[in-house]
Amino acid sequence: MTNETSTMTSLNATESPCEAQQKDEIQKNIGETFVEVDHFQLCKSGQHSPGDVFLSEKNPSDGRTISTLSDGLGSGIKADVLATLTATMATKFVANDIPIKRAAEIIMNTLPVCSERGISYATFTTVDIDPNSTVKIIEYDNPPYLLVRQQTALDPIKESTEIVRKDKSTAPRMKAYLHYSKFTGEPGDRLVFFSDGVTQSGMGTALFPFGWTAENAYSFVLDRIKENPCVSARDLAKSVVQEACIHDGYKPKDDISCGVVYFRNPRDTLILTGPPISKESDKELASIFNLFNGKKVICGGTTANIMSRELKKPITVDMKNLDPEVPPFSEMEGADLVSEGIITLGTVADILENNGVYSSDKDNAATRMVEIFRNSDRIYFVVGTKINEAHQDPNMPEGLEIRRNVVKKVASLLEEKFLKETHIQYL
Amino acid sequence: MRKIQVEICTGTACFVMGASELMLLEEKLPESLQDKVEITGSPCMGNCHSERKSHLPFVKIDGEVIEDANLPDVIERIEKIAEGNKNA
Repeated sequence: MTNETSTMTSLNATESPCEAQQKDEIQKNIGETFVEVDHFQLCKSGQHSPGDVFLSEKNPSDGRTISTLSDGLGSGIKADVLATLTATMATKFVANDIPIKRAAEIIMNTLPVCSERGISYATFTTVDIDPNSTVKIIEYDNPPYLLVRQQTALDPIKESTEIVRKDKSTAPRMKAYLHYSKFTGEPGDRLVFFSDGVTQSGMGTALFPFGWTAENAYSFVLDRIKENPCVSARDLAKSVVQEACIHDGYKPKDDISCGVVYFRNPRDTLILTGPPISKESDKELASIFNLFNGKKVICGGTTANIMSRELKKPITVDMKNLDPEVPPFSEMEGADLVSEGIITLGTVADILENNGVYSSDKDNAATRMVEIFRNSDRIYFVVGTKINEAHQDPNMPEGLEIRRNVVKKVASLLEEKFLKETHIQYL
Repeated sequence: MRKIQVEICTGTACFVMGASELMLLEEKLPESLQDKVEITGSPCMGNCHSERKSHLPFVKIDGEVIEDANLPDVIERIEKIAEGNKNA
């Protein structure tokens, strides 16, 4: 489905798509780095709530990106609560520059006590990245993170400090240590961190009597990166979790979570939606489409007709993957996706609101658009502002919102939930 | 023999007013007609902006625009054309 040729200036027979993409990106984006943050997780088998929580946010005031992975004691809802509290507090304290030792003590003294086990406990790893690429990492009881630079694992220097609990009766017996490290991220760097669901996967099996272990997990990550030097944070996190799941015989024995931060060349996507307010701007729209370097989406029947006419390219509607709720998508040479407008966008907003989760048997214009967005870093919306009178007819069902409102909603979901960079231009 | 061309409009307005059902035409066609018809989708045909706009959804059969299209009517029209073609 994805149209690789639209992002490549040249593809000779001996180059892999990744090499060509890298070359193309270097030509386009010398010096530009985007921090891609993504994660993947699977619940312990039989549970509905993950006991691991991954939270990310971009601080609008100082441009810092802060991500926390927390593993709550036990599994299921109780663990989810512990992990959510911990991740939220850790992220907020770091964002507000509360001294980290104090923050950790507050968190540990605040957590509710598990009624079965009589202790309160959750781990956390918090990664704080500022716009100058200074990275600070605070770890408490998760497996140590992996830093990969130029396909090699680096050994960061860490400072350790003990955290002392007020109420010793609800503390785990082992001493609690906080590890702090700092470095300057360089283009191409990757930070991989995960919960013990990854390192302990397969424990007790013949292959991994003591579990997969952090060392094996690190080797796996390095192998994946060697195989595909362009692998996205999203895909890498997913492959680590899925591999751990295989070790557990496809029935996770614990929540399995992995987060990846990748200092990468940004992947750009353009989405044209809506006819421009005046016909004279149709040519400008076509020109924006032609000159853009990246993935291209056309969202809207009228918009598609304009582009088809201006670029002299036919549109064929795909009648094979029919979904009763989302109009069919189409193909046009030069575009990665051509969809209907408002219904599709509304469905995209719903999926993004649901953290990007949708039923795996669905394959329609909205799910495809979500995938394109999730595999992009910067998304440029060009919104035509001509009102579609056909949608204003009172006989039409309610809920066909005004395009620009839905676009704003999609853009803000992409920024807040997925840490993408979005730009909206009106025509 | 030339196939009967059926184009189903898949634009927003047509989709919400019944085109999603029309897209099942291929399954619902009687067996005798199945190899006589070529069904394609079309992006918005623009009929929702014309004087016909209260007669959604729209289907084109051999270039002729059918208003208020529904499966039984469309199949009936196809049958008539097929009869006509047979006798021609």
